[in-house]
Amino acid sequence: MISRRRVSTVYVKELVDILRDRRTLAAMVVVPLVLYPLLMVGSVQALSAASPDVSRKPIVIGVDMQDVHWLEKLVIDDRLSRRGGALKPGRTSPSHEVGADSDAEHDTQADDEPEIFHRIVPQDEMAQAVRDRTIHVGVVRKEHDPVADRWVIDIFSDPEEVRSRSAAEWVRGLLGRLADRTVEWRVRQVGLPIEALNPIVIEEHRVSTPGSILSHILPLILVLMTITGAIYPAIDLTAGERERGTLETLMVCPVPVIDIIVGKFLVVATVAIVGAALNLASVSATVYFGGFEQALGSGEPTGGFPFGVLPIILVLLIPFAILFSAILIAVCSYARTFKEAQNYITPVILATLVPGGIAALPTSELQGVLTVMPVANMVLLTRELLLGSPVALGTVTWVLGSTTLYAAAAVAVAAHVFGAESVVFADSGSLKASFTRRTIKPAALPSAAMTILVVAILLPVWFFVQVNIPSGDPGSFIRTLRLSALAMPLCFIVVPLVVVVYWKIDVAVTFRLAVPSGRHVLAGVLLGLALWVPAAELSVLQSRLVGIPQTLRQADEALVAALQTTPWWQVVFCLGVVPGLCEEVCFRGFLLSGLGGAVRKWTAIIATACVFAVFHLHFFKLPMTAGLGIVLGYLCWQSRSIWPGVIAHVAHNSVSIVITAIPAVAARLGIDMTEPTAHLPAQIVVPGILLVVIGLALAGRQRDG
Amino acid sequence: MHMIVAENLVKVFPAPDGGSTRAVDGLSFRVGSGQIYGLLGPNGAGKTTTLRMLSGLMTPTSGRAVLAGHDVVDDPQAVKRMIGFLTADTGLYQRLPPRELLTFFAALHGLSGSDARRRVDHLIDWLEMGDFAELRCGGLSTGQRQRTSIARALVADPPILILDEPTLGLDVLSNRVILDFIVREREEGKTVLLSTHYLHEAEVMCDHVGLLHNGALVAEGTVPELLAATGEAHLNEAFLKVVGESETVLPAPEDTAERPPAGQSDVVPPSSRDR
Repeated sequence: MISRRRVSTVYVKELVDILRDRRTLAAMVVVPLVLYPLLMVGSVQALSAASPDVSRKPIVIGVDMQDVHWLEKLVIDDRLSRRGGALKPGRTSPSHEVGADSDAEHDTQADDEPEIFHRIVPQDEMAQAVRDRTIHVGVVRKEHDPVADRWVIDIFSDPEEVRSRSAAEWVRGLLGRLADRTVEWRVRQVGLPIEALNPIVIEEHRVSTPGSILSHILPLILVLMTITGAIYPAIDLTAGERERGTLETLMVCPVPVIDIIVGKFLVVATVAIVGAALNLASVSATVYFGGFEQALGSGEPTGGFPFGVLPIILVLLIPFAILFSAILIAVCSYARTFKEAQNYITPVILATLVPGGIAALPTSELQGVLTVMPVANMVLLTRELLLGSPVALGTVTWVLGSTTLYAAAAVAVAAHVFGAESVVFADSGSLKASFTRRTIKPAALPSAAMTILVVAILLPVWFFVQVNIPSGDPGSFIRTLRLSALAMPLCFIVVPLVVVVYWKIDVAVTFRLAVPSGRHVLAGVLLGLALWVPAAELSVLQSRLVGIPQTLRQADEALVAALQTTPWWQVVFCLGVVPGLCEEVCFRGFLLSGLGGAVRKWTAIIATACVFAVFHLHFFKLPMTAGLGIVLGYLCWQSRSIWPGVIAHVAHNSVSIVITAIPAVAARLGIDMTEPTAHLPAQIVVPGILLVVIGLALAGRQRDG
Repeated sequence: MHMIVAENLVKVFPAPDGGSTRAVDGLSFRVGSGQIYGLLGPNGAGKTTTLRMLSGLMTPTSGRAVLAGHDVVDDPQAVKRMIGFLTADTGLYQRLPPRELLTFFAALHGLSGSDARRRVDHLIDWLEMGDFAELRCGGLSTGQRQRTSIARALVADPPILILDEPTLGLDVLSNRVILDFIVREREEGKTVLLSTHYLHEAEVMCDHVGLLHNGALVAEGTVPELLAATGEAHLNEAFLKVVGESETVLPAPEDTAERPPAGQSDVVPPSSRDR
């Protein structure tokens, strides 16, 4: 059992130890407070030096001898027209070279325009001249259509070269404005108002969310910041301890490994949180005092750095830091040396960047399997909060719940590995050998680490399966149920069974396959028949407090519709029997067996029930399923058998389905199914609660053995 | 009363080539309360692996070990509460001063704040560590580090001390500190199990010795018994003689369980002693 006092002892010692290390302080304090501002200022300076404002630099235009005067006239006309001077096409201009040092030229050139020079280049050498960079852009009047009075003009440029690209852009603008003036003049000639050319006027109102650009990249930056802060302490406290020879003296103390690893994990998380907070403060201060606010914001007038959301980011740093610290501690626990740990961490960081990168895509949304995808879900949640988008409480729960489960799995794995002989002592063989089935020793029960890890892997898989099973019209509902009933044994029975068999763990003991006592079977029957009563009352209470969600109403309607078109036993089989069996095997069999060996009875039962509830992927049903999970866990623990729980679970699901989906049954029981906030009649509630109490009393006596 | 009982202990390590290595091969011995027992043997004989199994750091592949009535496999935490373990590598936290280090280990052994402080003060005083108790371990001399390690092993005042090569690589003065400490602990009634390949030290210090070779005990007894049985004047020569006999007379390690008594001397083979 985890002891708070021992964990706290380890935590304080490790924190003091790690903070006395100059390398930690450098990674945690010096890097964010000195290096990041310098990097930021330096990179902005470097960028501005590398990308100068070329739009005002002089432009050398290559032009054929015959087009020199046309170009000069064009440039001056354009400048005059832009200052409001009335111009007519065909007006003659002074005959001088563009860019020549004359008063006329200076009179027409505005301050924000580039100086224009021309170089005479024969038409057939224009492309080469651009390539040789003797001119920035070449302009050739190629042909004239006398009927339409239209010119075809060639522009030669090198889009890979900044000055040439900018010059070509300028020439395009120049010719575009000439075309506009010509069209305008022609329209006026036929007596039409110029507005006739624009039958639709579009006025755009771009509403920029503060930091909308930043919100896409900042979460990813946060990921990297948090990892950066956590890497060194994670290695130092695990592989470093092993390398310095202190691990053996620590392991010989009468302290369970889980206490040591939790203490170490909390230190890494603390350093990661403090480091990331300092990083965030440093970046914010650099942006604010360095004048980069607009550069990092959306670029729109309303954009800028979202200083207002900094507290939210700080809060989100905590689950980020917890998850990464746990992952890093788990990975580094495998390593025997600093170098080995660094080798292990590199692929972890790369693997982290993939979901982080997916989430950073503008098209990614916080829905479907991304809700439970590690890292991606946290990145997306951070982004949504930065954007000020409304995020459903249920979604936040899935994100935080799944992240907590993954972090717990990582810590459990770390505890399993940290004290392993093969890690502590080099002569105990390689870690690979400890995974080889030949060298695995048979065991009665799986470890907590193993069960949490398997269930943590199953969560996104199950979410993915649920999301991708097609559903929709009432006709396809039963198909959805059948597919779900097929997937469930694969996930909840086959996967744990394969793990248990591979690791030579006793199948019958792990899955609690023992024949139960008659007393506990009766308890299972009674609870299965009556548990729907407190569940329904809890649902009524919830409906009155927060309202019943639309999705739940739709699911109930689909269920009713399915029952009208499908034999009732098929629905009961898919929603009652299969989940009742599979979920009991996985949660009360596998997970509870693993947790039961590591934590106290009620901690194991409640933790299992919470995970069981999360797997139901419905926020509204969370309290109900958790409550059901606690009762089923208790029944399983007391009976030392999975079967009373299976009976109770199958009966509960089946009874609930029949009452929900068959109006005649509900009417006979006096239940108003049209009003979700209506209490059950007293003649149902009283015997129902009584049966539950009797069932719990019968389950209360633990079976011997 | 036997404070340490090892019965037919075996430890097999997986080898990189897919095979396996028997580091400890059917080892059996007993250590009485208040005795100093020396496991003697050259490098690679299996001494460290044996001590690690006895202290709950490694799980025996087969066999049984009981310390102060607690089985090392069934209740390793209880075993760890009974022992003070000193490794060849002093294994100190470089960034902690001895006082903080001792307080930390005292807390891990379940001593409350005031008890821990009293015990640490006592050890610092007893081992004359006052001059360096506040300096970080990383900056201490070898002798100072060794004293700190001894204090760490004694912080919970355990009835059993397991010392793995305690004098390895020490100078004469540090060596003296350790040997004095071991003898003093015996006088306090502690049971001491130590491993060493410095046989002359064992000769003057140990009540009983076991000669370990290729993971198995080749001879066991008091020092005078061993010397008398081999007819040698020193343990070094006695060891070489016994090892020579074991390699020519005794069967291969895999047949250890069936090994016949040595017979030709007073030195009782461990397997028959335990039966």
